[in-house]
Amino acid sequence: MNIIYPPKKNITNYLLTLCVLIFFALVIKFLKIETSCQDAGLVNFSLGFILLVSYITSKILKLAGLPLISSYILTGIAAGPYVSGFLDSNMIERLRLIDDLALNFIALTAGGALHIKFLRARFKAIALNIALNTVVVFLMVFCFVIFSGSSFNLTRNLSAVELTAIAVLLGVIAIARSPSSAIAIISECNASGPFTETVLGVTVAIDVLIIIFFTFAMTVAKTIMAGGQIIDYQAFAALSLEMAVSLIIGAIIGKGIAVYIERAGHDLALFLLAIAFGVAKASISLSAYMENHFDISLHIEPLLICMSAGFTVQNFSKAGNFFMESLERFAMPIYLIFFSLAGASLNFEALIMCWSFALCFAIVRGMGIFGGTWLAGTISGYPAAYNRHAWMAYLTQAGVAIGLAQLAQRQFPEIGVYLSTIVLAVISLNQIVGPVTFKFFLNIAGEAKKKTGG
Amino acid sequence: MKIILAFIIIIFLAFSGYHLTFRGYRLPVFAHKFYLTGTEFLFLGLLLGPQFLNLMDHKTSQGLETLSALLLGWIGLLFGFQFEVAKLVRFPFEFFLAAVFESLLTFVFVFLGIFLILWQFIYISAPMKIIASLILAAAAACTSQTGLALLAPAKIVGRKETFMLLRYISSMDGLIALLIFCLIFFFYPPGFSHFSWSNFSWLENFLSVLFLNLGAVVGIILIYTILLSQRLNENNLTAIVIAMAVLSSGIALIINFSPLLANFFLGFCLVNTSKKKERIFNMLIKIEKPVYLLILVFLGAGWNIGSGWFFLFAAGYSILRFSGKFLGGFIITRLSHGFKTHPRTLGLGLIDSGGLPLAILFDFQMRFPGEVTSQIIGLALIAVIYNDFLSTISIRWLLKKI
Repeated sequence: MNIIYPPKKNITNYLLTLCVLIFFALVIKFLKIETSCQDAGLVNFSLGFILLVSYITSKILKLAGLPLISSYILTGIAAGPYVSGFLDSNMIERLRLIDDLALNFIALTAGGALHIKFLRARFKAIALNIALNTVVVFLMVFCFVIFSGSSFNLTRNLSAVELTAIAVLLGVIAIARSPSSAIAIISECNASGPFTETVLGVTVAIDVLIIIFFTFAMTVAKTIMAGGQIIDYQAFAALSLEMAVSLIIGAIIGKGIAVYIERAGHDLALFLLAIAFGVAKASISLSAYMENHFDISLHIEPLLICMSAGFTVQNFSKAGNFFMESLERFAMPIYLIFFSLAGASLNFEALIMCWSFALCFAIVRGMGIFGGTWLAGTISGYPAAYNRHAWMAYLTQAGVAIGLAQLAQRQFPEIGVYLSTIVLAVISLNQIVGPVTFKFFLNIAGEAKKKTGG
Repeated sequence: MKIILAFIIIIFLAFSGYHLTFRGYRLPVFAHKFYLTGTEFLFLGLLLGPQFLNLMDHKTSQGLETLSALLLGWIGLLFGFQFEVAKLVRFPFEFFLAAVFESLLTFVFVFLGIFLILWQFIYISAPMKIIASLILAAAAACTSQTGLALLAPAKIVGRKETFMLLRYISSMDGLIALLIFCLIFFFYPPGFSHFSWSNFSWLENFLSVLFLNLGAVVGIILIYTILLSQRLNENNLTAIVIAMAVLSSGIALIINFSPLLANFFLGFCLVNTSKKKERIFNMLIKIEKPVYLLILVFLGAGWNIGSGWFFLFAAGYSILRFSGKFLGGFIITRLSHGFKTHPRTLGLGLIDSGGLPLAILFDFQMRFPGEVTSQIIGLALIAVIYNDFLSTISIRWLLKKI
């Protein structure tokens, strides 16, 4: 019963398992859910189902050379509301709690992956990449929206002021990357080396900086929408304060984790899961509490907190390696859940509605990234082959970009729908294409190694 | 918001508690055991529950049912993993018979006692009287090794055979409790409205539940047997084990079965068929303590302290259990020739109740919510504390007799 099968037989086994799981799902769809217990059971079943189906699909599609996270995303799409409907919007919303936990867990990993030592060593390349990517991508997307916005059905009826505001916001959102995808692919390929380190450094740093850029963009957009009033500097001060508070809280939590590792040490992975969940929920609750009780809009950013915590443990304690090993232990189920749900959440309605705009936007963004990385690589003296392909590593976009679009939607209800529709559509494209190109890049750069087992 | 706050608090409590509780503090034996078994977490749950802070009210607990099912599934898997046939057959078959006999006798003794009391004095529906008696008797049949494990090695010298038998019985008798608990789901599935032996509705019920559960269990086992037959690194195995507990708990809840039992059967099958059993067991055992403490907090939150009568009933229940265990031990040592070397007071070493009955009670609380359930749980929890007291004294008696 426990024979290790050859790869082809493995596929047959995986397909058989997949059939049994789908049979279960079909039977359960026909059962009447009457009690709250059964309802809770349905949530558990959905979660277990998506975990296993994503796992099996990734094993099957691995033969085609597809990155694991692309398989998870594709499974999510297949299980999601637009294809099979097994995971409907309601269920996705109910699983959001686990999704938040996963995202913060990934943020801890992202922070932990940043070593001051290598950041210092590659400071020039990373800084140049960030600066040039930011400027070139922003400018290209901004110009694209301004000059061609009136040619697309979706944005045709927007006024010049509204189009400019959207262009500013989309320009900034286009800069956002997906550290979660980057870390997942790097981990899958077991990649290491100067290029991998540069890509990771740039991706994570941009993820922190994007929050600052976005707040600037929001303030500018507000000013534009309000008819060119003076920029509200108080907003910048408030944002700086929020970020500083988030970073400080993260550093304190990071110190706490380090103390825990030094004093107790065991069950760290679980402890970190609890921290990730606690941070996610406590920051949301704190924001709501301050808003409701003191009429103060305080947005503590859970992602920043977790990144800062991970960074602190890695760089200001002796527990960095142990910390990363513990995170790695739960990495697979976390990635399975997170990316499958990301796939299920992709908005194909939005994509269908504005596919032409989204496609052009994605191409312009890709060109911007190519320009930025090529320039940065050339100035840094990287090999020409690397410079030609480096753009492939920066296409992925996920949670942060969606979060920013939602934030903008709340702030600008008049243009918010257009904005979030476009962003969701572009992310759908980038998240399907991005992981594949990233893996391709790692192979070209010669930094992907083969993993054993599994 | 309340669900989230409650969740964060209990997760924090489980972790901090685990790291504080399972440490070697120097405390008096009873206090040490009380502390070691994590009984104080019942009180923490009580504090968080509707009777005090009201952080975990009924609605909040309902919102956390997904987590509750996972916890039960985890414990069920772990318990199933204890029944590796290859290891069990190393012990004489008489040991197994002794465990089954002691467990069944305690069950019958407590069932009859409780049923008579309920029949005479308590006004609840007839099926509920049977269910309550079955649950309390099933919980009473379980034994834990905690008290035995706490004994200093010097005290066991020269009594190794007896303690080996006691440990074996303690680890095996939970099986009977689980099988009895299983019967409740067959005859009285959650949401049942009536039960009558006179028509054949019970047979129909029994068969439909049997086929549904069998189908589900066979399907789940098939999935995992295939998946676990592949070469898996640590990350893949973690993902599959987590998915295993989540999926089977979910299926169990949907088909109105118990997550504890479904995962127990799954664990039993895996430990006897999978070559990765050691790796899976190591993974499961790693978070056994936090899972167990969380169950205690949940149980504590649903604890209905009730009136003074509860303490009296609980005392009666504990005495019935004590008598059943004592009698069981006595008969075992008299019936079998091989066991005559053991003291007649063998049953005194079987008074600890441990974690499995709490998991059974928690499962029951989740699947059959209501006022009567809450009272049954309240009574059983008080009895758990009595048993902690009693077992400390009874083991001392036993040591004197050997």
